[in-house]
Amino acid sequence: MSIELVLIIAFGGAFLTYFFGKISYKLRDVFTVLVSCVLPVLIAYLYGKDLENTFYVGFLGLPLLLRLNTLSWFFALTVSAVGALSIIFSLSYIRGRERTDFYYLMMLLVNAGMLGIVLSGDFVTFYIFWEIMSWSAFLLISYNRGPALAAGMKYIVMSIVGSIGMIIGILSLYTRFGTLIFSELAVVIASSSPGYILSLLLLFFVAFGIKNAVWPFHTWLPPAHSEAPSPFSAVLSGVLVRMGMYGFLLFFYGIVGLKSFLGLGRGLLSFHYILAWIGAINIVIPTFIAMLQNDSKRLLAWHGVGQGGYMVLGTAIGTPLGLIGGTFHIVNHTSYIALLFLVVGAVEYRTNGVRDLNSLGGLIKRMPITFIGALVGACGLIGVPLTNGFVSKWLIYKTLILERYPFLAFAAFIGSWGTILSLYKFLHNMFLGQLPEKYKDLKKAPFTMQLPILVFSLVIIVFGIIPGIPLKIINTIGTSFRFESLQITIWGIASETGTLNTINIFVAIVAACIIVWLVSKAGKRSIPVNQADSYAAGASVPADKYHYTVDFYNPLYRMITPFLRDFVDEFYMKLAQWTRGLGNGVRRVYTGDVGNYVIYILLFLALLIFVQVKWSIW
Amino acid sequence: MKIAQIILSPIIAFVVGMFFLGLARKIIARIHWRYGPPLTQPFIDIIKLFNQTSVSHGGLFNLGIILSLSGSIVLVLFLPIGNFHPLSGSGGMLVILYLMLFGPLGIALSGGEAANPNTSIGISRKLILALGYEAPLLFILLAAMIHNNTISIVEIVRAQQEAGWALLTFPMVVPGIAYLLILPAILGKRPFELVGAAQEISSGPMVEFGGKRLAMVNIQHAFSMFIGIALFVNLFLGGSSNPGFFIIKMLVVFIVEVLINAVFPRMRIEQAFRYLWRWPTLVSFAGLVLVMIMGR
Repeated sequence: MSIELVLIIAFGGAFLTYFFGKISYKLRDVFTVLVSCVLPVLIAYLYGKDLENTFYVGFLGLPLLLRLNTLSWFFALTVSAVGALSIIFSLSYIRGRERTDFYYLMMLLVNAGMLGIVLSGDFVTFYIFWEIMSWSAFLLISYNRGPALAAGMKYIVMSIVGSIGMIIGILSLYTRFGTLIFSELAVVIASSSPGYILSLLLLFFVAFGIKNAVWPFHTWLPPAHSEAPSPFSAVLSGVLVRMGMYGFLLFFYGIVGLKSFLGLGRGLLSFHYILAWIGAINIVIPTFIAMLQNDSKRLLAWHGVGQGGYMVLGTAIGTPLGLIGGTFHIVNHTSYIALLFLVVGAVEYRTNGVRDLNSLGGLIKRMPITFIGALVGACGLIGVPLTNGFVSKWLIYKTLILERYPFLAFAAFIGSWGTILSLYKFLHNMFLGQLPEKYKDLKKAPFTMQLPILVFSLVIIVFGIIPGIPLKIINTIGTSFRFESLQITIWGIASETGTLNTINIFVAIVAACIIVWLVSKAGKRSIPVNQADSYAAGASVPADKYHYTVDFYNPLYRMITPFLRDFVDEFYMKLAQWTRGLGNGVRRVYTGDVGNYVIYILLFLALLIFVQVKWSIW
Repeated sequence: MKIAQIILSPIIAFVVGMFFLGLARKIIARIHWRYGPPLTQPFIDIIKLFNQTSVSHGGLFNLGIILSLSGSIVLVLFLPIGNFHPLSGSGGMLVILYLMLFGPLGIALSGGEAANPNTSIGISRKLILALGYEAPLLFILLAAMIHNNTISIVEIVRAQQEAGWALLTFPMVVPGIAYLLILPAILGKRPFELVGAAQEISSGPMVEFGGKRLAMVNIQHAFSMFIGIALFVNLFLGGSSNPGFFIIKMLVVFIVEVLINAVFPRMRIEQAFRYLWRWPTLVSFAGLVLVMIMGR
């Protein structure tokens, strides 16, 4: 009963919010926050339960199921927590804009749709919730109108292609096995031929890969993320895109099963190895493209694509460490990318929508809490030790090295170094350097924005120092997929081939910091000076813009830009153009004018008569 | 025993690093036909700088440099110095790779708040240079890890004590040569001394540091020099069974680097990056391929 309760609250809350908004906006705000905060609490309460129940029979004669296991609990908690925090963030972000009732309705609906996806127990239910999520996401992406409409259109066209792939897969499953329930499919699918399984995997790879923005299906993501309202960008990049990862995990390991999945193909040409290489490409190219971006949200969006590569790489490699690393990376990515999008949102809110990295600077002096969020988020994304990103990347690197895939490991490593460059640029151009004159009187971000930023920062650091808590849960997911269990301790992973002990690292760094701080205390005191009082070789420092930001890595850009064209996107755009041309051609014939159609009919009759008269074939 | 090692390792690194800085000045002076400052000059400078007044540009400016130096200190605990390797069981080589980040990142954050374009240009160069040498370095480290099938640097050292120095055995000699090619870039010595180019960008990231902060930057520099050379000695010169021999091996490598430093002019950043992603990367890539083919 309780799974239904979650979904009823999620969906009912969404629609009630809309009607409350018509009465009073204060009531609506309170109610929205209440609904979004009840959900994670309720889901957390369901921890450790294994439920499966039929809630409706008779849709085409198929039973519709809801189920809860560790995998879905894990995703449901992440989804609802991120949903709640981004709704709290929205309170001040969206106030005063138009169509706010609609905005909250859609935010809650996306949230509810995602909860439905992870809690569904068969493919029909899954598909219904998948579409609810996809379409409400489309409406939110194009919320800002203008360029957002084009971004939304790009997203929904690709999303529909993915849905078609999924529905073909579902139909094929149904005609062959007569059931669409996950747990039953997992039993019967093992007997089918490898060729059939491969074709299914390809279909579902397209379906989930488009949502997951896996190369070469990533092209919708950068415009969609940068044009959506920032709190929704956080949801979009943090959890909605990762529904594709949930789909991968569910289909590859939950349904097809470990043995058949790893047994497809041989050696270098096996399915999972090629998938791992796709993951590796997905890490390197987008990360380097991110370095070139000057729009703060677009930069993060490209990292969203890039980090997806680590998850695909980790889960595709098919070892317990890889699976745990990849799955842990999903939740880590959620925490820091959502945090960074919220940070950008806060800056955008205070500077009236400035996202251009070349026109900001020095904001650390005016928005210190936001800067802390940005710093922690950036460290997480890079994978600096003591953040959660480090732990998951460590697991992925380790399995790649010990399984002797050094080139994949190289791709993963060099991706991290690209991340450092672009994230430092992000921090430096926005928060460091000289504060421009026009932002002198900027206020701090409001409390409803600082709260989610601080919560996410805390999550990143806590999971980085004591990663054992989430790793234990993920280990249960691994064992439910028939991976062997790993030795998880509160401070990381213990094994003979290499131990990770984050608490030792933490204690060492804190102790070193204290010692260095004490030493620095012993030195002579320093005098605080303002930003204009810096070394300029005797010249006076110009007051307004004295900040090295434009083309921050210019020498590097000149060398790598020619190699970093997004060929895939160009190909798709050409395809779209070609389709439009075809449509225009058809429209020239198919004009909608009745007179023309009459002439076509007459001409056709004349042709028939002519043929009959000439050759008399009838 | 472990606690003694934890206390001793950073002290060894500090003393040896500072001594190397003094020695470098002395050797270069002799090449220039000068007498040069005494070997203890860096220590004297540090004590002097701690007693000078400095400026502060804000909280992150003060904090970043502390973070940078403590990251380097912790890193020393993960690196085997002879038989001293107190923390290397807590994460192995992968932690070393990531802790190497703290040094430049801390200085970059600290320098960023100083609001001086010279700093930003210097940091931009440092990060590009780091990306440049990181590609071959990753190939080298991967070759070493794959060759010994471990992620622990202690295991790599132990394997060499049985099989001989990696620099003298095939195929590990190939990545070893690549490491020698990038070592000046890791240490920030000429021809790659473009981060703190004093004549062009007023010592880059260091321009706003003075007094005790300049002293800490100098100490950090000594530490990072120690780390770059110690990594090479551990990976390719067989480490050592006690810190004494280890430091002698380091000294030899260091003197070679100082001689290179003394005779080369400075590259531009484009030239440096192009060089690093061409020859060292090719050699180290070939090394990794050879290791993959030869092993198992």
